[in-house]
Amino acid sequence: MLRLIRNKFFVIFTLTVVILVVMGLSSNQNSKLNVVRNATSVILSPFQKFFDFTGEKINGTFVYFSDVKALKEENDLLKAQIDELSKENKELSGYKAKIDELRLALNIKNHFEDYEPIGANIIAKDMGNWFNIFTIDRGIQDGVSNNDAVVTSKGLVGRILSAELMSSKVISIIDEDSTVSSRIVKTNEEVYVKGDMKLKDQGLCRANSIFNDVDIAVGDTIETSGLGGYYPKGITLGEVMEVRRKTGELFRYAIIKPAVDFKRLDEVFVLKSKKKVDKTGENEK
Amino acid sequence: MRVKIISYSILIFIMALLQSTVFNYIKIFDVKPNLLLILIVTVALLTNDIEGAAIGFFSGLVQDMASGKVLGFYALLGMYLGFSIGAMNKRLNRENILILLFFTFVSSIIYEYFVYLLNSIVRGTVDLIYPFRHLILTEALYNCGVSVLIFAVVLKLNRWFVSMDKTLRKY
Repeated sequence: MLRLIRNKFFVIFTLTVVILVVMGLSSNQNSKLNVVRNATSVILSPFQKFFDFTGEKINGTFVYFSDVKALKEENDLLKAQIDELSKENKELSGYKAKIDELRLALNIKNHFEDYEPIGANIIAKDMGNWFNIFTIDRGIQDGVSNNDAVVTSKGLVGRILSAELMSSKVISIIDEDSTVSSRIVKTNEEVYVKGDMKLKDQGLCRANSIFNDVDIAVGDTIETSGLGGYYPKGITLGEVMEVRRKTGELFRYAIIKPAVDFKRLDEVFVLKSKKKVDKTGENEK
Repeated sequence: MRVKIISYSILIFIMALLQSTVFNYIKIFDVKPNLLLILIVTVALLTNDIEGAAIGFFSGLVQDMASGKVLGFYALLGMYLGFSIGAMNKRLNRENILILLFFTFVSSIIYEYFVYLLNSIVRGTVDLIYPFRHLILTEALYNCGVSVLIFAVVLKLNRWFVSMDKTLRKY
């Protein structure tokens, strides 16, 4: 027996089997094993916060000098835009009051009222180059839970993959493992937006298997449909950049440009559900 | 032994930290180096297969916990990588920098292919050439560049361990 334990290959083999079992167990989101993960992330996350802060500062100072001219031009442009937008804003706020009134009259619920945004900073990214997962500095302590939607002011970013004690991991919509059930705003037709290996380097994703009778064109806005339960309904996702058909395939596919720029992502909001769901899954009233 | 464990765990911790934060700002062609892989390769080259497997296992475990979809995936890969390189190094001149570069290059390619294939084989779309051209080759070259720095640190540590062993044996 002792000789067996001394044998390296035997030890390696046993460890392999143990790890395979652990992998199987930990792929379940609610498993107890994920507590082990919490331990390291609690140690690692304050350091990550610090390092990310300093890295940003150093990067910022380099960019500062090269950007002055571009910033001036941009400033003029933005001032002109502000005038335009404030004019538009006045008109729209009139409409909003009207819509609220009508909603009240018709008893339609506003979907976003059920959610409370929590601001969060991105403190770390995935260690390898394959996945688009990042870590934010809010966790279970702040009320974040698994599968909450993550957004910015522009649109959808992704969802919480696993909420840990002081930080949580977010899987973005351009990751290959992410699928968002969404719809074309113009026609209310359903498409499924997925991440793609070749497109994610450019920050794009694709919508697969679009039927031939679906009316989709370049420039159409895509938003979440609310089916599936992860993402609330009506968050802007992006717009259609290209519609293509592979030769010999029945369906078309579209390349979608997300409204969020994933290369310059820094601050995000987690949409925390206000409705408290108890363990049996029924909503508290 | 105790000193060894402490210094290796500090090294793993620092590498994981740098890789997940600072190296996001110094990407080349949108690719960052895999510091933990370099650490596994250098330690396994300079020591033996058991130490290689141990450091591979633990640095993989840290990567699993800090980022990763399932627990244990990188730990398994790292353990095999450290073990196989540690088993190969007996007839080599361990402190030769060319051997280090060769091992880093080859093991980066094999490791990243394993990560890619094991993750995408379930999805059904496997493309062998595109990831090599756009990601793996760049990463392997970048890894070779960074490995020289890490090698210098690990070599110094290793010599320190050896000299400490000798002084302990005298008494």
